[in-house]
Formats: sequence, C-alpha cells, structure tokens
Amino acid sequence: MPTALAFESVTKRYRNGVVALNGASWSIPVGARTCLLGPNGAGKSTAIRLLEGALRPSSGSVVLLETTPGTPEYADARRRTGIVPQSPGMYTDLTTSDYLDLVRRLYGRGDAGRVIDAFGLGPYQQTMLAELSGGFRRRLLLAAALLSEPEVLLLDEPTVGLDPVAAHDVHEFLTTAMQGRSTLLCTHNLAEAEALCDDVVILRGGRVLLHEPLAELRQRVAPRLRLRARQPVESLVAALARRGLVAEIENDAAVVSVDARRAAPDLLRDLLGEGIDVFESVPLEASLEQLFLDVVRA
Amino acid sequence: MIDRSVRILLGKELAQLGRSRAALVSATLIPLLLLVIVPVPQLVAFSKAPINIPELPGGGPAGLQSLRGADFFVQLLYPLLVTICGLIVPSLAASYTIVSERERRTLELLIALPVRLTDILLAKLLSILTLGTLVTVPLFAITATLVVILDLAPAGTMLLLLIPLVAAVICSTCLSLLLTLLARDFRTANNVNGILFFPVLIATVGVLGAVGGSARFFVLGVTLLTLGAIALVIGARWITFERYLD
Repeated sequence: MPTALAFESVTKRYRNGVVALNGASWSIPVGARTCLLGPNGAGKSTAIRLLEGALRPSSGSVVLLETTPGTPEYADARRRTGIVPQSPGMYTDLTTSDYLDLVRRLYGRGDAGRVIDAFGLGPYQQTMLAELSGGFRRRLLLAAALLSEPEVLLLDEPTVGLDPVAAHDVHEFLTTAMQGRSTLLCTHNLAEAEALCDDVVILRGGRVLLHEPLAELRQRVAPRLRLRARQPVESLVAALARRGLVAEIENDAAVVSVDARRAAPDLLRDLLGEGIDVFESVPLEASLEQLFLDVVRA
Repeated sequence: MIDRSVRILLGKELAQLGRSRAALVSATLIPLLLLVIVPVPQLVAFSKAPINIPELPGGGPAGLQSLRGADFFVQLLYPLLVTICGLIVPSLAASYTIVSERERRTLELLIALPVRLTDILLAKLLSILTLGTLVTVPLFAITATLVVILDLAPAGTMLLLLIPLVAAVICSTCLSLLLTLLARDFRTANNVNGILFFPVLIATVGVLGAVGGSARFFVLGVTLLTLGAIALVIGARWITFERYLD
C-alpha cells in the first residue's frame, strides 16, 4: 500500500542538545487517519516540522508522498499537503482575505470563496488576522490548509487553547475535512483522537512506543465492569475480593477486570445470592485514555 | 530569474511595509533629513561663501588633499551622508519585516505553506532592497540636481555618487540577514544594528579620507559591497529555521 508519510529511523537533536525524536520509525498509508499521541515534549511538533521541511533530521529520513525534503519533487509534495500549525502568531497587517489569497497563490490552486463560506469566515474577510478570536483563528488555519484540496493533512494540536464551543466547531469541520484524506493529527486530547482517528502512534521521549489501529488496541486491554450496590462500596469490594477479583473504587462504584458477556451473569448471581444488592452493572469500553496510560506507564 | 514563490512573498512583504505607518515614516524621515534637510542649507552656504580647508602638514591623506570650496561638500561630506543614509533605511525596514516576524512568531504561519525558509528570507531581503532604493534614490536626486544647478559639481560626479548609495543599500540589506540571526526583538535589533554599522562606518570614513578624486566613489562602493557579501555568506551559512526561531 502506498504511504502518505513515513519516518525512517529519524533522530532529531536540537542545537541545545535536546533529542526530540530518537530513532523513530513509523509510516501512514494513503487514506489513513492517524493520531500522534504523546505527553508534552514527546516529539509531536518536531515530527510536523520535519514533514514541513522546516527542520532537518539529524539522522534518518522523512518521506512525504514518496519524496524526501530537499529534493526537487518535495515542492510538489508540499503543494499536495495542508498543514495546520500549532498556535502561530497572527499578522496585524494582513486581513483574512489577503492571507487566503496568499495561500491560494502559493499553492497555485484553490477557491478562497469556497473555504470562506465553508468555515463561516465571510463577515471577517477584511478583519486583520490578529483581531480574530481564538476560534476563528483556528477556522482560518483550517481553511488555509484545506483551500487547495490537499491529499495529506497535518494537524498540530488543532484545538489546543480553545473553549469547548470553539473546539466542538473545529471537530465538526475536521470530521468532514478528514474524510478520504491521509491525516496526521498531533494531539494530547485523547477524546479528540478517539473521535477523529482510526490508528494511533504513541510517542514518548522521542521513541515510538506503539503504532496500531485503535480497534486492535482496545482488544488488548482487559474488559472491565463497573458495579454499584446499595451497600457501601467497601462491602462490594470485599465481596469481589472473596471471589479473587481486585476492584478499583471509582466514585461510589467498584470497577473490576471482567469480561461482561462471559462472566458477569454468574458474578451478579453470586453477589445477589450473598446479599449484596447490586443495582448497576455496566461493561466499560477501554477508553483511549486508559490505553494511553497503560502504554506510557508500561 | 526569481522563483514564483519568492515573487508572491515579495508582494506580501511590500504590501505589509506599505501598510506600516511606523515603518514608512521612519524609513522616509531619516533619509529626508540626511539627504535633503541637512545638506541643502550647507550646499547653499558653500555656493555663496566657499571655504578653503587649510593644508595639512605633509599634505595629509589623499582624500583630504586639494579639497577646495564646494569640493569638501561634494567629495567628502555628502558621500558620507549618502552612505549613512543608504545603511540606515534598509536596517529600519529589516526591523519591521524580519525582526517583527520573529517577535510575533508569524513565521510559523508562512512555513506551514509550500515555501522554503530561503524563499521567505529572500523575499524579505528583496523588499528591504526595494524600499531602500525607492526611498533614497529620489531624495538623493533632489540634492544632486541642486548641486548641478548651482554649478558646484558636474552631473557626472553626482551620478558617480549613486555607486556608494546603492552599494550602501545593498550592504545594509545583506547585514540585515545577520540581524535575522542575532536580534529577537526591536530593541535588540537597534543595538545589533549599531554594532554592525560601526565597522562599516569606520571603513567608509577611512576610504573617503584615504582615496582621492572620483576613484573614492568606486573604492567605497566596492568596500561596501565586499562587506555586504561577507555578511551574506555568514548569514546564508548559519541561518536555519531552528536558529531563526530560537
């Protein structure tokens, strides 16, 4: 399968000695929607800047649409790629319209009017970029990235610093924009990654800890069951412990690693038979947060 | 000859400079002062009451020999003002186009587009060169025309003075590449400009004092272009996105 982008044993050491990526290798096939997860300083933004061609790897190679930065073909690959940078500064002397026109001319194609309409930027066409609110700045960045109908979309923390309403708006736009496009979404917002992506790459300390489809990742985590009873939660935990189950207390509920479909009916019968009045039994799907913490802590 | 991306970015830079009242006022006011307001009264005074420089012991350096009357103005004073002006205007423009981009972190907006850092910087340098030339040459022409009208120097001599002016603009534009590496904000930019200009001014005074006749304009032009080329080579060798954003 052709790759949209790839990192081949990439190490990036900054001038101050910080190693942002350390022999990292991963690739994203054409059409995949992949999130790049990792704690702060994991190397996510460095990965984007390497793909931009703004930074050069200290060793290894970065591939974007089958080309490497610095080659004559790379310029064409960049024109087929839309990038949303993380919270850049905004011009005080360029309007929304000026900026989108600049973007259109640099990409050599695109319809500024279409993205202005799609992202609701119409009333702000003559507004200086620095005067736009946080939410509209992010809309503008998305509009610029999508103006040329790119094949690849690189998103660096597209909702960081936004209020919930603005973040929701951006998610709505992204859901549409990412359809059919190879996308790399750098984020540490796990809910965002879960809602928008199919695959996940987890970085820590510049190394790739994991690269898997989310669905497969979920299967690796033990299924869990949340139980609530009329008695104090400590009684419920003790009853579970007598059956060899270690429970965690979350609020006033006990959470145990149990396959709900196979083991829950017997477990519930036992508990009720013992006089523990269980009134709630909820199978929990492994959240990306849980998966992330499991992987990073391991 | 110039890459399409650079031409597009140059248009953006010039539009931004045109919209910046502070940049335009400071880039016009100082040359107006140095090229017209200060020299014109002196010029008129020289035309009415020529002064003779006393002979220096042993004749003095070649550049200071045989300067009589208006020659002092045409051969020494005005070339110095012209060179200083040619150095100042691009440095002011550089503070607005290069340092402000760095200070406001707007470079990240540009680098997300299909352009290279070298395209961005080349467009900025060309915009600085354009502004420097467009502002200084017409103002120079005013005073140069007056000199010719007052019959203080032939038109050919005044045309030769364009050499150090244009060379100073080019030299200062190249020095702004070093400014890109060294200055993170306006205040630092002003300090760095002072440090960068000091050796250039020393060289200028040295050439004007040491070389006699019209040859001084050629030698000064070559000296300024050489200093500019050195700055360009150093800047081009060291500047990277990483250093620019540091």
